[in-house]
Amino acid sequence: MRLTPLLRVCLAVALGALLSACSSSTTSTATSTAPGSGGTIEIGVDLPISGADAAIGVPTQNGAVLAIEEANKNGFTGGVFKLESSLLDDAVQGVHDPAAGAQNVKTFIADSAVLAMVGPFNSNVAKSEIPLTDDAGLAQISPSNTNDGLTVGPDAKNLRTAHPDTNTYFRVCTKDSRQGGALAQFAQKLGFKKVFIIDDNETYGKGLADTFEAAYKGLGGTVLGHEHITANQQDFKALLTKVQSTAPDAVFFGGNTSTGGGLLRRQMGDVGMSATPFVGGDGISDTAEFVKEAGAMANNVYYSFAAPDADKLPSAKAFVQAYKARFNSDVGPYSAPAFAAAQIIIAAIEKAVKDDGGKMPTRADVLKNIAATNDFPTPIGKIGFDANGDTTAPMLTLKKMLAGGKTETVAQITLK
Amino acid sequence: MDLFLQQLVNGLSLGGIYALIALGYTMIYGIIELINFAHGDVYTLGTFFSLAILTLLGVTGIVTGPLLVVVVIVTMLGAMILCGLTGVVIERLAYRRLRNAPRLAPLITAIGMSFILENLMQYWHGPSPIPFPQVIPNPDVHLGAVTIATKQILVVVLAIGLMIVLRAFVYRTKLGQAMRATAQDRDAAQLMGIDINTTIALTFLIGSALAGAAGFVSGVYYGSTWFFNGFGAGLKAFTAAVLGGIGNLTGAMLGGFLIGLIEAMTTQLISDQWSNVVVFSVLVLVLIFRPSGLLGESLPAKV
Amino acid sequence: MRRLQPYLLFGAAIVLPLIFSNGGFVNFLADAGAFVLLALGLNIVVGFAGLLDLGYAAFFAIGSYTFAMLASPQFGIHIPFWVMLFLASGVAAVFGILLGAPTLRLRGDYLAIVTLGFGEIVPQTFLNLSQWTGGPNGIGSLDQPAIFGYRFGFQALPYYYLILGLIGVAVLAANNLRASRLGRAWMAIREDELAAAHAGINTTVTKLSAFAIGASFSGLAGCAYASKLQLVSPDQFGFNVSVAVLSMLVLGGMGNIPGVIVGSLVISSLDRFILPQLTNFMHGFGVAIDLTNSRFLIYGVILVLTMLFRPEGLIPSRQRRSELHAAGDAALAEQTLYTEAVP
Repeated sequence: MRLTPLLRVCLAVALGALLSACSSSTTSTATSTAPGSGGTIEIGVDLPISGADAAIGVPTQNGAVLAIEEANKNGFTGGVFKLESSLLDDAVQGVHDPAAGAQNVKTFIADSAVLAMVGPFNSNVAKSEIPLTDDAGLAQISPSNTNDGLTVGPDAKNLRTAHPDTNTYFRVCTKDSRQGGALAQFAQKLGFKKVFIIDDNETYGKGLADTFEAAYKGLGGTVLGHEHITANQQDFKALLTKVQSTAPDAVFFGGNTSTGGGLLRRQMGDVGMSATPFVGGDGISDTAEFVKEAGAMANNVYYSFAAPDADKLPSAKAFVQAYKARFNSDVGPYSAPAFAAAQIIIAAIEKAVKDDGGKMPTRADVLKNIAATNDFPTPIGKIGFDANGDTTAPMLTLKKMLAGGKTETVAQITLK
Repeated sequence: MDLFLQQLVNGLSLGGIYALIALGYTMIYGIIELINFAHGDVYTLGTFFSLAILTLLGVTGIVTGPLLVVVVIVTMLGAMILCGLTGVVIERLAYRRLRNAPRLAPLITAIGMSFILENLMQYWHGPSPIPFPQVIPNPDVHLGAVTIATKQILVVVLAIGLMIVLRAFVYRTKLGQAMRATAQDRDAAQLMGIDINTTIALTFLIGSALAGAAGFVSGVYYGSTWFFNGFGAGLKAFTAAVLGGIGNLTGAMLGGFLIGLIEAMTTQLISDQWSNVVVFSVLVLVLIFRPSGLLGESLPAKV
Repeated sequence: MRRLQPYLLFGAAIVLPLIFSNGGFVNFLADAGAFVLLALGLNIVVGFAGLLDLGYAAFFAIGSYTFAMLASPQFGIHIPFWVMLFLASGVAAVFGILLGAPTLRLRGDYLAIVTLGFGEIVPQTFLNLSQWTGGPNGIGSLDQPAIFGYRFGFQALPYYYLILGLIGVAVLAANNLRASRLGRAWMAIREDELAAAHAGINTTVTKLSAFAIGASFSGLAGCAYASKLQLVSPDQFGFNVSVAVLSMLVLGGMGNIPGVIVGSLVISSLDRFILPQLTNFMHGFGVAIDLTNSRFLIYGVILVLTMLFRPEGLIPSRQRRSELHAAGDAALAEQTLYTEAVP
């Protein structure tokens, strides 16, 4: 029959409505055991898992998924409830997008089976999500947000206008100010008196670089310059020539491997800076990818990692093995934190179910239990949360990349 | 002063790559008045093809001796041919039908083609940057305190060399004459017996081949490549083509080098984060005050 | 009956979120609505006046940041939301004139490239001026609208109705403009600028007003969207947004208001529903492909196929169809059979 334009419009709307009715939630985990007698409980996971961000987002998601699968295997809530994950992507065209993150959180909030969530990965996405979870009372734990303003200061207060006295946001990783401060001390100890700072002009990178700069200056170091690179930049030679002309003892990079860290390091060799050390934060801790992108220059690179050294912690070793067996690939830099975040949520849910006498717990119960987490053992050490949602006594491991793709641990410190 | 000279070298090398891409843009615009958005992605494709050929040849690092010349020529020609063919295919599939359509249509199609190419490349090698073999040995040339890498010399020499060859082709051969005629007045050229379809296809072949050469050179120069490179580089190369005078070959090369220099100098004198803004502002200013570019002629609008 | 169509559809739009009240769906509707507003604005520039603007996201950025800077803790200024709607659209209109002015003498392709250049310059500038704009962090905790003492809060539903209201106003404005002298001047310029100038139309004023009015719509959208998202940051306004809005126009039918709305909803649905559902569908068949990653591939294919085979879009205006299918009177005659339904 002839489709008049009006009919086409109606069809489009009907199609949209139909699809929305079908898609009340998206992908869930594949491990389908028989549903528990009490029903299904879901943990939402919101991470960037497509495009360029996928390289770091997917391994993170895998960490959370592993924790959920292990929980089911080990008899989650004694079989009363079945645990599932609700995995959503906040990357649009390969880049994390705050609006997509907000949409995902709204989807979680609307789904009554979701009692808590893991995520987001990026600090600017968190800024659009925290007001929503605060309003809805949905607990969220991020494996990787480091921006200070998410938990402390006037910015943090402004994010929690719906319920200023409740905190629904937690993170298992350390804040920029602590990481930047530790790296500044570290740079001083290594004898770098003059440093040139470069950052990727993104929330995490610029935040880390700024805190590093302030701390480093405070310790008496000289900052020769502070430049920002652009997204998708390919040619760093002009910038690096400028840096070289200032003769720095080291170059500090605030940012990720995927936002230019690897390429920047590689091109340092082209302008004659092969002997100059490179210092970064946990954004360049995905050493496999960094070595690939930096090539022969991935040597003499210092970086920090917001967790204890995996080689020294037995639970960390077990985690790495289990991950390899399940996903057939190496862990990513944030797989363990995501695993820890999910573990904490699972423990909180189990306690809430027990306290409720086997009934479906409320989000408020789960939130309360998460907030009370203290000395909880995970592959990244013992985790507890302070009143702001930050970790108490986090550990920072400082490592160095050597020739041939090897790494060595230089120091491991517990930050106060 | 040394710093200035060093940045000059950096700017010229970067500009050489832009120049090669700009040559292709200007040729295609000159003949069918289409801004081929996909051209920047053909450049990236050139790097990918080069990588594939080098992998096939088993090259993973530096090549020395006479073998070096063979490898370079084989890879570059291979990339150029493959890119040229890609350009022809794109023209045949997407642009030919729209030759007489209002200008909006082929422009939007070109944008669409650009996305398709970018995504296909993302499927091919993934979303992260990938390393490219070094190929050219290291020894740098030192002129006083200024260091010029062999790679940088290669880029500039290639850009100028290919432009000279191209000019010779366009101004001294019959096919080149046919291209110029088609660019000047398509209908009249047809009336004179020139096969428009073949001529336009040839233009795409050559223009895309140049982008392929730029791709090979860029892979060697940066030691890495990435599926999304073409977007930024293409935009700046188009700026270069406009700056030099669209439709003018020497202008495209001149524009390319100028844009490279502007980028390098902005980074040195102001800051890296403003270099893109400055380059695009140049584009805007040129189009406002001298739309015909530095070397272009002001053509009156035909009624 | 035909006259009532728009009102019926509007009524349906009002009732829709009350029937399908899933929080995620209502949020999607509100976001999609903001993009409908953007598409309507771009329609004035590209569809009515024929000025190919490839950097429309710049105006969206200007509208959003204006709101963010004047209605948030950033500078401590808190101008009421309803005033901000006028203010932001006004500021965006002024920038429409400023950014449009350099393009006056340019032909189609060059105009496109200059607007593309602006589309790159504006977000990068917002990113770089971090003392005022918060740099990559952007500006957060934006003010929420309040009406008669009722504050909007974090539910999507009131924002949906706000945006729906704005769309209604925009459609009325666009329709009236199209039928006015200015609208006809726009179409004259679109068809043949030289002839229009010779017929006495002031091309400068006409073009600038197209840019200004088109930009003002994005100012409205910027206010509503930023307030709902509670955040503006530079990476929200990249080339991909400009292209997405352009795709909405191309797909739906440039110059045609119902077409633009439909195109916008289709592209938004593509993103949020169709691609994820298709991916699940394929997973069910054991094909491990992630289509949400191919969003731009699909846009590209849509653009190419639409331009090759149906350049007038899904819901074209009769004019466009006839001018784009220059060849084949038979084809034209066949299509004129189901024309007039479009108001």
